[in-house]
Amino acid sequence: MAKRVAPHVRTFDVAIIGAGVVGAAIARELARFDLSILLIDAKSDVGAGTSKANTAILHTGFDTVPGSLESRLVSRGYFLLRDYAREVGISYETCGALLVAWSAEEFANLSKIQEKAIANGYLESYLVDVADLYAKEPHLGPGALGALAVPGEWIIDPWSTTLAYATQAKAAGAVLQLSTRVERIAQSSHLHTLHTSQGEFEARYLVNAAGLYSDVIDREFGFEDFVVTPRRGELMVFDKLSRSLVSHILLPVPSSMGKGVLVSPTVFGNVMLGPTAENLSDKSATESSITGLAFLQEKGRKIMPALLDEEITAIYVGLRAATEHSDFQISLHAPQRYVTVGGIRSTGLTASMAIAEHVRDLLTQAGLDLGKQDALPAIHIPRLGEATLRPYQNEPLIAANPSYGEIICHCERVTRGEIVATLASPIPPQDQAGLGRRTRATLGRCQGFYCHAEVRALLESKGGVS
Amino acid sequence: MKKSEVDVLIVGAGPAGLAAAIAAKQSGFARVRVLDREREAGGVPRHSLHTGYGLRDLHRVMSGPKYAARYISKALEAGVEISTSTTALDWAGDLALALTSPMGLEEVSASQILLATGARERGRNARAIAGTRPVGIYTTGSLQQSVYLRHQEIGTRAVIIGAEHVSFSAVMTLAHAGVQTVAMLTPEARHQSYFPLHWGTALRYRYALRTKTKLLEILGRERVSGVRVATPSGEEVIECDTVVFSADWIPDNELARRGSLQISESTKSPIVNHLYETSRSGVFALGNLLMPIKSADQCALEGSSLLSKNW
Ligand SMILES: Cc1cc2nc3c(=O)[nH]c(=O)nc-3n(C[C@H](O)[C@H](O)[C@H](O)COP(=O)(O)OP(=O)(O)OC[C@H]3O[C@@H](n4cnc5c(N)ncnc54)[C@H](O)[C@@H]3O)c2cc1C
Ligand SMILES: Cc1cc2nc3c(=O)[nH]c(=O)nc-3n(C[C@H](O)[C@H](O)[C@H](O)COP(=O)(O)OP(=O)(O)OC[C@H]3O[C@@H](n4cnc5c(N)ncnc54)[C@H](O)[C@@H]3O)c2cc1C
Repeated sequence: MAKRVAPHVRTFDVAIIGAGVVGAAIARELARFDLSILLIDAKSDVGAGTSKANTAILHTGFDTVPGSLESRLVSRGYFLLRDYAREVGISYETCGALLVAWSAEEFANLSKIQEKAIANGYLESYLVDVADLYAKEPHLGPGALGALAVPGEWIIDPWSTTLAYATQAKAAGAVLQLSTRVERIAQSSHLHTLHTSQGEFEARYLVNAAGLYSDVIDREFGFEDFVVTPRRGELMVFDKLSRSLVSHILLPVPSSMGKGVLVSPTVFGNVMLGPTAENLSDKSATESSITGLAFLQEKGRKIMPALLDEEITAIYVGLRAATEHSDFQISLHAPQRYVTVGGIRSTGLTASMAIAEHVRDLLTQAGLDLGKQDALPAIHIPRLGEATLRPYQNEPLIAANPSYGEIICHCERVTRGEIVATLASPIPPQDQAGLGRRTRATLGRCQGFYCHAEVRALLESKGGVS
Repeated sequence: MKKSEVDVLIVGAGPAGLAAAIAAKQSGFARVRVLDREREAGGVPRHSLHTGYGLRDLHRVMSGPKYAARYISKALEAGVEISTSTTALDWAGDLALALTSPMGLEEVSASQILLATGARERGRNARAIAGTRPVGIYTTGSLQQSVYLRHQEIGTRAVIIGAEHVSFSAVMTLAHAGVQTVAMLTPEARHQSYFPLHWGTALRYRYALRTKTKLLEILGRERVSGVRVATPSGEEVIECDTVVFSADWIPDNELARRGSLQISESTKSPIVNHLYETSRSGVFALGNLLMPIKSADQCALEGSSLLSKNW
């Protein structure tokens, strides 16, 4: 287990910059060993960067570039995260994907994609003819010609994934330092000094998992291996009443124009439409755009017209950390005792645990002695998915604690008991958005018309006042 | 799981549901039960502290909470059973509902079920408004709860989207919270409220009604810093720290849809006949669940009249 450090200690064996899904996975992986670990993020919550706004698909890696690092880490990460989700209670659903062809060109491409899947070690895909396709997805818009089924593509709860990693790392002794921006890094022969918005920290080894800013951190060392270009992805989420419209993840056939727009169920019982893909220059531009939303509505109307009659409950924007290279940019700088984990563009959720193992091995190559390994402390996080029993449906739980029968957020059916428990959890939310990621409160169709004030009061009183 | 039975089961203890319950009791139904998922009965008027309630039904004008309290005590006097913090989750049969509450799970069957679940305003996402996602965005409903029920800090300068009755209610609520309304936007050529209400609020609170003006985008990272709008003379930015989305109603039709009742494509309300009966015999819909949106007294009168027409 990670070394426990006294609160005043500011020197660590390993510091990780960035508590997104990747940084948190690395912290968790290292926390099994006899190391002191610091996980640091500029934001007030874990997973509050790109990791909070993605399409939440557990990818098989069927369409990655064969032979690439991404292909290897996505394939392995898929199994690691699947097992981890079972272990700690992260919701996932085994819905499978259909790559729907809308033109003769796309239809012809399906078999090439199938060959690529095989090259990536994924053998279970199969072609679906048009009649079968409409039988599987009766609400699909007119004009589809057929599909490639990829049954291994699943959906997962992305927020709980990052939270679980960070919670387990913390339980094992890692220090989580939020609201702390790394501004400058100084190096001596054996220590990195991180100058941050909250004072200085020192570390023998450093991992850069800063996502969109991984190139900026690299520049502190003088490395110029890649430049991150934020690629905006806008997403629309539709009300739960639309969930019965779609059974599979409906993927577009990738073309020269990029990956395209998908329609997918979410584990929370919604349907998601997106993402757009647009290169920007501002790494903090997480606003949605008029053109992007109009584009999504137009695409959505073609893929599934009935979906557009449903209410939109959320609009998210995620910025992919795209670089000039197609592959992940993970590299060891052994003399500096420094690992860069950049360019984790569009599969980082799936690959996270495999990336963590890979980074662990790179650190040992640079001389890090991991020391004794222990089992990580068992954790369990609240299941947020619709496929399993929710607290408001759980008779024994309500009998033991009646506040689990008092629904506060009516659209998402989140109870007072869940909100109070979350506010007292090891990594409590700092704001309404963080509470939403942990419980789903306020994320539903009324968007707070009914519960905003109550939820805000609970947050402001840290669960004390009703 | 607990099982129970009543004669009349009403979902929603707003003006419509409470008025219907009182009438049901008065016309002789023995067991009349009203459910509400909130901690307190009363519906929307409960958090609408300004005056303007009760003209047509109670024949005097009063504040929302007073109005709600009147109906609650009348219902209790009449012998109506009111169950709060109780959500009707789904159907447990043609004339039965599954409930959850701090008391646990329950299935209630009834000979008549009335849906009086009300309506809500569409929020920013439901209207697909682009821009950032900062703090300071409300609907009139959430604003009123923040101000009147919770006394929460709001801001200093607000823009209201929409110019219907409820938008003027937002002006009054903002004024109560010390927030100045800097503009009220509507894409239409004029506002859609009665003149007296508009003039009254306009004189008292001095805000700019901006017709033919469409909201394009919300600005500001942490906190709202303004809105970008399209006007007949081009685009412009109005600086503000609060945005209130008013009107643009959607009926709370979840139960109706879960029960596969016939729904109107245009209004999204359950389709009812002249007796307010839905496509399922024995199941009725009333109040603001039936579009178009009405004032509280109209909803209450509808609730009272349901009985004389039907039973
Ligand atoms: C639209 C979209 C759809 C996607 N869909 C999927 C999908 O379906 N499946 C899948 O597996 N993946 C998907 N992804 C990819 C996945 O979301 C990312 O690969 C993953 O979230 C990257 O995680 P990260 O930890 O590297 O980055 P981030 O989550 O961005 O974390 C980096 C963290 O570093 C912090 N940081 C940066 N600089 C500093 C500093 N100087 N000091 C302190 N902290 C700093 C940031 O605050 C941030 O929290 C998608 C991505 C997008 C955008
Ligand atoms: C901001 C605002 C200001 C207004 N100002 C005025 C005014 O000045 N004068 C005026 O006359 N009218 C006003 N109105 C309109 C008036 O409030 C409504 O017309 C009236 O409340 C509608 O009554 P109702 O009973 O149909 O629904 P509601 O009052 O909305 O009540 C519906 C009830 O159903 C409950 N419910 C819903 N689903 C479930 C479920 N599944 N299980 C259990 N319970 C459920 C809800 O909790 C709610 O309490 C205003 C409305 C708003 C939003």
